[in-house]
Amino acid sequence: MKWYGWAGKLVDIDLSHRRIQVIPLELDMMRLYLGGRGLGVHLVYNELTSRTDPLSGDNLLVFAAGPLTGTPVPTTGRFACVSKSPLTGTILDSNCGGRFGPYLKFAGYDAIVVRGASRIPVYIRIADDVVLIEDARSLWGKNVRDTTTALKGYGSVLCIGTAGERLVRFANIMNDNTSALGRGGLGAVMGSKNLKAIVVNGSNRPNVYDANLLQHRNADITRLLIASPVSSKGLRVYGTPVLMNLINYMKVLPIANFRRSTSPHAYELSGERIHERFGVKLTPCYGCPIACKREIKPSGVEVPEYETLAILGTSCEVTNLNAIIEANHLCNDYGMDTISCGATIACYAELNNLQLDPETLISLVHKIGTRKDVGDELAEGAHRYAKKMGHPELSMDVKGLELPGYDPRGVLGMALGYATSNRGGCHTRAYIVGMEIFGKPKLIHRLSWVGKPNLVALLQNIFAAVDSTVMCKFALFSVSEEEIANALSAVTGVDFTSEDFIQVGERIWNLERLFNLREGFTKLDDMLPERFFQEDTDVKRISKSEFMSALLEYYRARDWTKDGIPTHDKLQTLSIAGEYSHVA
Amino acid sequence: MWREFDKFGKKLVQYGLTHSHFGNMSVRVGDKMFITRSGSMLDELDENQIVEVHLHKPTSFDIIASSELIVHREIYKNTSALAIIHAHSPFAVILSLLTDEKEIMPVDSESIYFLHEIPIITGKVGSAELAHNAADALKDHKAVIIKGHGTIAVGKILEEAYVNLCCVEHACKVKYFMDRS
Ligand code: SF4
Repeated sequence: MKWYGWAGKLVDIDLSHRRIQVIPLELDMMRLYLGGRGLGVHLVYNELTSRTDPLSGDNLLVFAAGPLTGTPVPTTGRFACVSKSPLTGTILDSNCGGRFGPYLKFAGYDAIVVRGASRIPVYIRIADDVVLIEDARSLWGKNVRDTTTALKGYGSVLCIGTAGERLVRFANIMNDNTSALGRGGLGAVMGSKNLKAIVVNGSNRPNVYDANLLQHRNADITRLLIASPVSSKGLRVYGTPVLMNLINYMKVLPIANFRRSTSPHAYELSGERIHERFGVKLTPCYGCPIACKREIKPSGVEVPEYETLAILGTSCEVTNLNAIIEANHLCNDYGMDTISCGATIACYAELNNLQLDPETLISLVHKIGTRKDVGDELAEGAHRYAKKMGHPELSMDVKGLELPGYDPRGVLGMALGYATSNRGGCHTRAYIVGMEIFGKPKLIHRLSWVGKPNLVALLQNIFAAVDSTVMCKFALFSVSEEEIANALSAVTGVDFTSEDFIQVGERIWNLERLFNLREGFTKLDDMLPERFFQEDTDVKRISKSEFMSALLEYYRARDWTKDGIPTHDKLQTLSIAGEYSHVA
Repeated sequence: MWREFDKFGKKLVQYGLTHSHFGNMSVRVGDKMFITRSGSMLDELDENQIVEVHLHKPTSFDIIASSELIVHREIYKNTSALAIIHAHSPFAVILSLLTDEKEIMPVDSESIYFLHEIPIITGKVGSAELAHNAADALKDHKAVIIKGHGTIAVGKILEEAYVNLCCVEHACKVKYFMDRS
């Protein structure tokens, strides 16, 4: 059978037994899950049993490209990684740019499944049909930049730094130095398998079913990307730091571990200020015309993302731009999530009544990356640290994942999005900021609950499907599910309407929910930290009763029971009724 | 200042000069401009719906400002206007579609006196071409009609821009019925 878009096979690598198998995929399954996040969630859900230790050889790492990865569709040079999180115990998917995704497709694979654990440090090398497990003892102990330099001759490098080796619970896997598979500790899972790196190269482009039609579809997408001020005037001009002044203006910037929500120093960390102070070079992910990523010239040091500036910066009450640039660079080199790292430091500072200065911030990043002194406790993440110190209320997390850079008191859709996120406190599951802050595609009232439960559920479905194609979420500020479904049909030759596309996302979301329920999570975990119900900032606290009503409405919008459990009928509609026994 | 925006936003909608989503307003203050947000409703404006942007350089607030920001910038840079109102006034839109001329000649005495001819310009929403054409025509006119789209009126204050916009709509309405009588 000739495949279009998809490569049609995955490579399964058992590190315990050093066994490599190439496994063909079935079109019916790819229709249901697309690839990327969807394929990963399907595999992890089916292969793991309840209460698997995420840092044992029993956990799985699935690296999956999507049917659009590596094709000419704009912003699709991306891939996903799915596993069970050692930080939260939930299902965890992460999405990454760089070049690894397209190169994996060029090598002829939709996914790599890594299982088991090696006795000695190893790395995996893939070049088309050749898949090798190589000795990585000489690389163990190196950070991301040195590891990448050592291996980049073989292709696109995915690796961990010492944070992953030392099982920091929010360690990242880094692609080509600066693109991160972040949140939730995928780097620690890789470290627990003694897997230092995967390097991939390939020589074949994916087939496109209707190249002529795709040209038209791509022209539609490009026109919308150019027309949208968010992509063409915002992200392209300043990168994600474009958000700093806006978020401060909206009074939802996390300051001092979410104790305040505006800062007179926000401008110092803004996109405008970064561009005034430094020359920058655009470093887009493969095939991306938006190009939100950038580095400082001539040093090549990466410009921090908005989330990093907010959480490692203002939430830690450090507004020295140079210090945050250095802390960000260190996090990337150790291979650590900047949001979790910053949030854990902010929690530590509040708990110990400390006013952090730039030097202390940087020294704490070093200590966490090497698990030295207090860094060993902080490497467990804010939730575990605050609980151990007897102050669980000071960890700003949902389901154990630290919150990113939007104070939920002033963006109520985001509040519900955080609380119901399947991987914990995350903004990118239902990136409702597009509507609540940017007004794209439509401005909605950010301090009202009206319509939000339905909208959050819909956006979660759409983003889950987009993460499975794998397109960049930022494209959704300009492009709708309709254009994506059209491009998907032209690439794969399988007809997808926008409804089909959204249903794929809904299926994935429900399967993720089932995974979490199987792990013992309940509706009580769909909750925000008490601070947001108890304390005002420039914005009033959230009314808990209104929040609880919105949560119930959200369950109804999903056709779940009032306890947040998917019904048999719903799972049947989604063709996953067989999984009902796990929650019945 | 937002109260002034709110006052004329409400009037625009109340008197049928546009629907609440179709239009934008701005005021120039030195090198800055206050402009309605993208997606805001003209009859429900509050302080959060007006954003401040720079006249000469991009700022992060550009992305939440009206998508016609580029047109407002170009008008301020090339004319003496200090306030702009753009609305999708129905009779102006209809008349611009019914004619192949590059301008509309009012037939009522007040509009002839106040407006003289009303230029009809072209250009896609938020495009550099539209910005250029509007700024050019507004150098010596109080208002222009974008073909099939709406009216842009300028003034020294919002009230003056509002009066000019009303005058264009009145002229177009009278002319529409006169032409068919
Ligand atoms: S918008 Fe930014 S993150 Fe998304 S693909 Fe482009 S460069 Fe990468």
